[in-house]
Amino acid sequence: MLKLLGAVLIILTTSWIGFQLATEFRMRPRQIQELRSSLALLKTEIDYGTRPLAEACDRIAEAAGSSLSQLFQKFSRNLRTLDGKSTYECLRLAIESEWRKTAMGKEEKGIILKLCQVLGGSNRSDQLHHLEIAAENLLMEEQKARVEQEKYEKMIKTFGILSGVLLVILMY
Amino acid sequence: MSIKPVFQVLPHSIRDVIQSLPASVLERLEEVRVRQGRPLEIITFKQSWFVSRFAHLSKKPYEAMIPGKEDCLNLLNLISNHSLYTMDEELRQGYVTVEGGHRIGLVGKVVLEGGRVKHLRDITGFNVRIARQVVGVADPLIPCLFGNAKVENVLIISPPQCGKTTLIRDLARHVSRGSQSIPAYKVGIVDERSEIAGCVAGVPQHDVGPRTDVLDGCPKAEGMMMLIRSMSPDVLVVDEIGRKADSEAIHEAIYAGVHLFATVHGQSVREITRRPVLRELFQEKVFTRLVLLSRRRGPGTVEGIYNQFIERLDNKVGRMGTIC
Repeated sequence: MLKLLGAVLIILTTSWIGFQLATEFRMRPRQIQELRSSLALLKTEIDYGTRPLAEACDRIAEAAGSSLSQLFQKFSRNLRTLDGKSTYECLRLAIESEWRKTAMGKEEKGIILKLCQVLGGSNRSDQLHHLEIAAENLLMEEQKARVEQEKYEKMIKTFGILSGVLLVILMY
Repeated sequence: MSIKPVFQVLPHSIRDVIQSLPASVLERLEEVRVRQGRPLEIITFKQSWFVSRFAHLSKKPYEAMIPGKEDCLNLLNLISNHSLYTMDEELRQGYVTVEGGHRIGLVGKVVLEGGRVKHLRDITGFNVRIARQVVGVADPLIPCLFGNAKVENVLIISPPQCGKTTLIRDLARHVSRGSQSIPAYKVGIVDERSEIAGCVAGVPQHDVGPRTDVLDGCPKAEGMMMLIRSMSPDVLVVDEIGRKADSEAIHEAIYAGVHLFATVHGQSVREITRRPVLRELFQEKVFTRLVLLSRRRGPGTVEGIYNQFIERLDNKVGRMGTIC
């Protein structure tokens, strides 16, 4: 009886791990898409609203999903409170502390960091141009992430369950 | 006027140096000049100094701290509140007004479009000009300027950096607040270069008086007409008149029964009365009081007060001396 309970526990645990890993694969393209729409919003704020960066980030944080909302909130907080630091430094510190909470990978991080180097540092048309480039690059990453999702999501889920079953069989 | 907002726009590398300057220097600090790859310079009353990394003042440029590209970029980030794209207009003008009414002049590479300045990029030179609001500088002049409890049309003649904006601001405040000798008037300031009121987001950073309306960043001639129509001021205040359109707008204002405080760049009354645009105004005796400033005994030295017949008035009341 105890053995059976143990076996069920093992299978449940490995399946849970498998599902968690699969969630990462599922969330990544979705979050990249959200990030793209946040950048589109930023573009509007810069183009028509001509709002200061911190204020624009606040508004985006309100509209975005939870993990991205935290990132943009942190952007805004750093821009307002980190006295004497450059724009890039404020944004970089926010990314370093918040990126881990998202499902996004280092490619997207690289694109955003590159954007942060120029954000707030040039005239309007230049800003819009850089935002467009970042959005295009993110779209490419999103497509890649979707392919990966299709490839690996189911596989990892099944792998989780099966590895549990294998462990149980070996133990019996 | 607090110098603190100036520190807030400086990156730490430069701020630490400037903040460690002796209090006596900070009190008289007029400009901080940052040029990429060249020595850090400060200007105090009548003197310029290079500043070393350890906040020593020196006349030798090679002893000075050299701000790098990073410092300049950071300074630009802080001046623009991390949002340079909101400052397209300011960059076209070549200066930004920050909190406290302090003014930062910028130079770099100009981008032209159709022969007109479109934008400024690669900004590598900064002149942080510290605004000193001196409340009460106009007080000794008041009996001379408003002798019979009546507001005169005042023209302040002065070379650059002699305190004409400080004086006109104090005059505006004085008239706007009123005193025992004169009632409070409605004052309208056309602040083309954001110098008189030093507005940030439309809010005056200097005390310009309780009954004062400020039209910020508006061309003078157009602004005077706008204010007369919209705010019905008793007194109009404008800085640095001199174009043909200005003189036309002044005529309009005078015909509308509005009084005028204005300033103009110049070295002497005689020189000003000969200028083509102003000559007409003088012939019509528009300005009933002329104040000539110089820097002989420090900024704001009053060289003389004249009436519309170019007769000197201040001899009767004794020397003013330094008003600042």
